[in-house]
Amino acid sequence: MKVVIELFGASRDFSNKNLIELDIKNNSTIKDVRGKILDYLDLNFKGNKNFIKIVNSSVFCSNNNIISDNYKITNNEKIAIIPPIGGG
Amino acid sequence: MLHAKIVDTKEKKLSIIEAENFISSHDYGASIFFTGTVRNQNDNKSVIGITYDSHDALVTNSFHEIYDEANQKLNIKDKSVYIEHAKGYLNLGEISIIIAVACKHRDQAYVLSRYIIEEIKKRSPIWKKEHYQNNDSAWLEGSPIINEKN
Repeated sequence: MKVVIELFGASRDFSNKNLIELDIKNNSTIKDVRGKILDYLDLNFKGNKNFIKIVNSSVFCSNNNIISDNYKITNNEKIAIIPPIGGG
Repeated sequence: MLHAKIVDTKEKKLSIIEAENFISSHDYGASIFFTGTVRNQNDNKSVIGITYDSHDALVTNSFHEIYDEANQKLNIKDKSVYIEHAKGYLNLGEISIIIAVACKHRDQAYVLSRYIIEEIKKRSPIWKKEHYQNNDSAWLEGSPIINEKN
């Protein structure tokens, strides 16, 4: 199945489309998706260390709620990645 | 009473006058206006502007939560609060955030204003990309959101 990752903040540099689409197994969780994003970065950015750090320190959001690493994703679900913040 | 909004810099600039119009009331004797503006130096680099990014829905939700918490945590029930944060590119000196609060007494107004900005820094999903004089740019590192659900 597919999942769409909406990019925000520093993660916008992961793609010029402001999102990335990933193929994932049924019943995948956010923990699995985090791993898939790291695979994507390895492939497209030769494992850019700064990008990896961003992914490992991000939380994820679905339907405008922060979700846990155990959250199970449904097919074609849109998930937002929320990197470390700093507004004001 | 709360006004909470993310403002696209292409549509309008943040306005202290609009904030004042919103919080003005004969019910309150103390008002505080906090603004954040783009400054020209950070980390020994010459900054010429900042692009702000935001997850609008989460940010607006966080503004409402922070406002509601002030009832319980600070015991400030009578208040008027105006919060706007910019999204998009801002030049030096332009306003990125306005927090205007009006309360019955000055102690409450100072405490409430400080509480709001500190909580926004901790939990509102907003990001800054600095632009430098040498044409370089960089996202600021920021602080991770603590996910209480994990």
